[in-house]
Amino acid sequence: MSKTTDDTVHQTEDGDVPLAEGVDHQVAMVMDLNKCIGCQTCTIACKTNWTESGGREYMYWNNVETKPGAGYPRDWEEMGGGWDEEGQSRTPGELPEQEDYGRAWDFNHEAIMYEGSDEPLRPMENADWGPNWDEDEGAGEYPNSYYFYLPRICNHCTHPSCVEACPRSAIYKREEDGIVLVDQDRCRGYRYCVEGCPYKKVFYNAQTKTSEKCIFCYPRIEGEGPEGEVRPPSCAEDCPPQLRHVGFLDDEDGPIHKLVNEYEVALRLHPEYRTEPNVYYIPPFAPPQTSESGETVDADRIPRNYLEELFGPEVESALNTITREREKAERGEESELMEILSTVNNDDQYRLEVFDDDG
Amino acid sequence: MTDTTDTPNESTRDGSGAARRDFLKGVGAAAAVGATGLGSAQDLTEMTALDVVDDPIGNYPYRDWEDLYREEWDWDDKARSTHSVNCTGSCSWQVYTRNGQVWREEQAGDYPRFDESLPDPNPRGCQKGACFTDYVNADQRVTHPLRRTGERGEGKWERISWDEALTEIAEEVIDTVEDEEYDAISGFTPIPAMSPVSFASGSRLVNLLGGVSHSFYDWYSDLPPGQPITWGTQTDNAESADWYNADYIIAWGSNINVTRIPDAKYFLEAGYDGAKRVGIFTDYSQTAIHCDEWIGPEPGSDTALALGMARTIVDEGLYDEEHLKEQTDMPLLVREDTGKFLRASEVSGLDVDADRPEKVFVMQDADGTLRTAPGSLGERDGQNDHSVSIELDFDPELAVERTVDTTDGDVETRSVWLNLRDELSEYTPEQVNEITGVGERTHQKIAREFADVDRAKIIHGKGVNDWYHNDLGNRAIQLLVTLTGNLGRQGTGLDHYVGQEKIWTFNGWKNLSFPTGSVRGVPTTLWTYYHAGIMENTDPDTAAKIRESIDKGWMPLYPSERDDGSRPDPRLMFVWRGNYFNQAKGNIALEEELWPKLDLVVDINFRMDSTALNSDIVLPTASHYEKHDLSVTDMHTYVHPFTPAVEPLGESKTDWQIFRELAAKIQELAAERGTEPVDDRKFDRQIDLQSIHDDYVRDWLDEEPGALAEDKAAAEFILDNSEETNPEGTDEQLTFDDIDEQPRRLLEAGDHWSSDIEEGEAYAPWKDYVQDKNPWPTFTGRQQYYIDHDWFLELDEQLPTHKEAPVLQEKSEYPLGYNTPHSRWAIHSTWRDDSKMLRLQRGEPTVYLNPEDAEERGIEDGDTVRVYNDLDSVEVQAKIYPSGEPGTVRHFFSWERFQYPDRNNFNSLVPMYMKPTQLVQYPEDTGEHLHFFPNYWGPTGVNSDVRIEVEKVEAEAASIVSDSLGASEAGSASLRSGSESRGALGRISDLLGGDD
Repeated sequence: MSKTTDDTVHQTEDGDVPLAEGVDHQVAMVMDLNKCIGCQTCTIACKTNWTESGGREYMYWNNVETKPGAGYPRDWEEMGGGWDEEGQSRTPGELPEQEDYGRAWDFNHEAIMYEGSDEPLRPMENADWGPNWDEDEGAGEYPNSYYFYLPRICNHCTHPSCVEACPRSAIYKREEDGIVLVDQDRCRGYRYCVEGCPYKKVFYNAQTKTSEKCIFCYPRIEGEGPEGEVRPPSCAEDCPPQLRHVGFLDDEDGPIHKLVNEYEVALRLHPEYRTEPNVYYIPPFAPPQTSESGETVDADRIPRNYLEELFGPEVESALNTITREREKAERGEESELMEILSTVNNDDQYRLEVFDDDG
Repeated sequence: MTDTTDTPNESTRDGSGAARRDFLKGVGAAAAVGATGLGSAQDLTEMTALDVVDDPIGNYPYRDWEDLYREEWDWDDKARSTHSVNCTGSCSWQVYTRNGQVWREEQAGDYPRFDESLPDPNPRGCQKGACFTDYVNADQRVTHPLRRTGERGEGKWERISWDEALTEIAEEVIDTVEDEEYDAISGFTPIPAMSPVSFASGSRLVNLLGGVSHSFYDWYSDLPPGQPITWGTQTDNAESADWYNADYIIAWGSNINVTRIPDAKYFLEAGYDGAKRVGIFTDYSQTAIHCDEWIGPEPGSDTALALGMARTIVDEGLYDEEHLKEQTDMPLLVREDTGKFLRASEVSGLDVDADRPEKVFVMQDADGTLRTAPGSLGERDGQNDHSVSIELDFDPELAVERTVDTTDGDVETRSVWLNLRDELSEYTPEQVNEITGVGERTHQKIAREFADVDRAKIIHGKGVNDWYHNDLGNRAIQLLVTLTGNLGRQGTGLDHYVGQEKIWTFNGWKNLSFPTGSVRGVPTTLWTYYHAGIMENTDPDTAAKIRESIDKGWMPLYPSERDDGSRPDPRLMFVWRGNYFNQAKGNIALEEELWPKLDLVVDINFRMDSTALNSDIVLPTASHYEKHDLSVTDMHTYVHPFTPAVEPLGESKTDWQIFRELAAKIQELAAERGTEPVDDRKFDRQIDLQSIHDDYVRDWLDEEPGALAEDKAAAEFILDNSEETNPEGTDEQLTFDDIDEQPRRLLEAGDHWSSDIEEGEAYAPWKDYVQDKNPWPTFTGRQQYYIDHDWFLELDEQLPTHKEAPVLQEKSEYPLGYNTPHSRWAIHSTWRDDSKMLRLQRGEPTVYLNPEDAEERGIEDGDTVRVYNDLDSVEVQAKIYPSGEPGTVRHFFSWERFQYPDRNNFNSLVPMYMKPTQLVQYPEDTGEHLHFFPNYWGPTGVNSDVRIEVEKVEAEAASIVSDSLGASEAGSASLRSGSESRGALGRISDLLGGDD
């Protein structure tokens, strides 16, 4: 059943942007980690849209984790999944325990407030891990500690190992936009996809006995709802610093194409998993280190090799490009890259209707 | 009331476990079941019957099921609202409703842009606003009037009718007024800007009753006292959009990325526009991570750091000489013998054209001639007099040292500038490094860079404002923008954002809140600590200063001292829109001394917070999605409304309705009792309870009876009567309907702001003085760094200077500093108890410990620890935070008391203390520059000087709590059965049709 990358990938007309075979266009997202403040508005926006009830309570289709850190679910980077070096066969993956996700704790509000309990307000079950348990911790020692925030959704991969993992063929990529979905009618909850996804972005719903995942808010981008308005995914639209661009990877006039393919400053998370994610990240900067005598010294605070572990060897050149372009802005020169990353002109922040005429 | 007919036992998608969202079950879930017909126990063997999928990549044939999620993305209606929580956000949201209930909210995202060269102002909001819906239908929600049946704080209640509740309160009010103790009635509600109609509701009644209105900005230590001291103004800030205009930004103790989430974009993106961003934080904070350089001074050493930077700027001649000469007191002469400013009246032969020459100051021009300083108070009519100019027609000298022939004979004088240079000479690079730990080269480099750019700005926050010597710290940091002339232009200034203290629509709000114009305002720090016994619990010098300030009438205190020298206790307190009991510093004394003095505490609330829990009567109020009101902030220049998405839940009513109905009840009972009008002992008015409702609903400006019965009319009153929304001399006006359609930018700035709102430009303050050359509202008419008040001279604080923090606890005994910063997870105590927010934390209060400090004490992440000092001990969970400086414990503030096993909280470790320099009037005799005015000048409720120790709570002791809580299934079960028995209380679950 396995297919090679070569089998499954085709190029757009001018041969520039590889898409999965059979997929006309591919939605994509670029997240600028230099604008992520860990506020989790995306997390809550996603949750209030999709995962409030019905067995989804524990799920965070969108989460934001502190890096370095165990992440969500705990130690997901250690759990395998994805493809081997040839991209031919899947790498075995582990199934996270419920404890690795944490539970959607209920609390004893009513007992305390209205029933005279003298207990403190607490989760009514053991609470020893949760989706943001190691928030702000990071690594290193004061004053040269470091941390940053990493928002994560399903990567809607071009070469998705979850699709391959499903023995019922209940996971698929949509033809029109490459969104990866779990067919809720067909899925029987075997959880091979949960194991197989190296990003651990498929979740098992114990109530419906199906697996569920980020749907890239397709009802929003399709313009469903009473107002019939095309809207970007809520994690993007509701983000206060507006750190996400949403559009199509193969829209060669759009900012995502520029960031990914022209400036090459937007990188895949763990490219070595070889699922070819369609969510890209602008890697993070940090202020330089401080010496013992309290002087600022010219040394990277976030170890470069750590960033390479996350984003691959291209991180170096991406950071250099951004630095160079920022220096231009400091000198008062024009920088297209800086303009794309800011919201001063944000007409193209979300380009979702560009292929509407394709029929 | 709602469609909750489905039983949770159905194995539907939204069935069991959906708790409060059951009632939302709509077409989505129903359709899902219909479409799939799924049972819960499908057999594997069914696979054989599966239709074939040839290629799941791009060619999947069975896609009808996708309607499942499409149908979940559906709503019936939406309404514009926002949140009244003193976050300074003032973010406009759309509230979506489904089946008559609030479903969710999303940022409205439709603030109009006014400057296309700035980042898009949309969307404003944060994760907390994004789940306020939780509170609308929460377990915490108060839905009926409640009367305490147990002790205060016990959580035992009986449900009473509105009539019973209002009658009981009205009787107490009438008794109090008849006893002429109306100044023992207190109304505590903070921050008008976040919902001015709700603020005004109770304030209006309290004002009509002759009661006491409480300050909040100073009480919360949000007021930067250095601003009234130096600039004669409460605070005036650029809107956050202006950050983007800066070339250089220092975030100094202002954790923007946590506390200014909707505004952070302007800071983050300024970097893409070429600005340098420097963060000065004791920890490697959530804002530091996105700075270009981070400086980590020792806690409490910011003053020394700023003065060191100032020394570099002065010594290296990087200052803006013209600005200093025209705009500051630097050229003014000071007498060496007394330390007082040389006054024009003292100088022999100096020609003075002013009514009060003893309040006119002196400088020396380039020819060595003494000149009067234009704009001095002595030639002005009061604090704000724009008929006088500070523009110079001569060139004053900065560095002056000379003998002056005075009425007292020859007197040695030196200019403020030389005095300042003496002071700054103490802050050598070595000394600064010694005090602050910041590198000798680094702090000088930052100073040079700051002075070098065209537009530099400091964003100043609570991290440097909660220290006892906050006034000195403020003044030192302010000095940097003054020295470099970074004031009165876009992209410059010192923006202090702590609390939504200022309201744009000032005049309308003022007239709505205080219709009589005679306001018994009180500095809440003084009121609270006095009645909680500070006079017996502070050092003799502070006690003497407090007494002197009260005796001289510098600071008011209520109830006022009676003719016989007695002073009654406070008696009746209304609290709404705030959580006074929880947020009070010195809260052990407050609970033990002040609280018992109150005969009746009434809390008006939508949720059961710690103040409500410790009240006698709780009245259920409308949530933020159930009423009309307005919202403004000094973070932006827009106004937008609250409108009801749904009706107030249960028996709750809006704040305006509640106080109006209380006024009606008072009027009715006073008529029955024949209560006569009472002469106010301070103001020329009578307190007439028999007309109090008529007075409440009357429009006092238009003299129209009954005009203000409804919330929306009250909101319209504010818009109609404010310069910002209905400017004089124009036919432009913003109506409630206008702003409901879309947030609108304010039309003009009233005269409580120091610049105009200009088309196409972000608001930036101080232009009235810097550009228009009006006198600053200070004694000297200039930015005043030298204060010659006797108390300042006595304390050697005439100029900003670094002082060590007062010793509240000995370091030998309590080695750790104690910092209680604002968290990203709550706005004060709101959302502290929200399940959705708690699930993204650890479900309970935590303290952040540096790993070394933890290891020394054998503490590991997740341990239960005791944080204690001489005042109290609180039990919390330890969290390891490598980015925290060694020697400091961070306990993010505002956890509710009911989240601690002992029902104390973060404030229980904070004593009552205040700084005497903040109790003064200046000038001493007339007070135009510094005089008590609520939220403008008064003692700040500081807390950062506290020291503590931490120890691990051994497993046995800790387990008592977790056992009794854990009680696993049994615990949950009993909670559940409890909720069934609450039928009598008419709880939320009953309204929503039960949750189990």
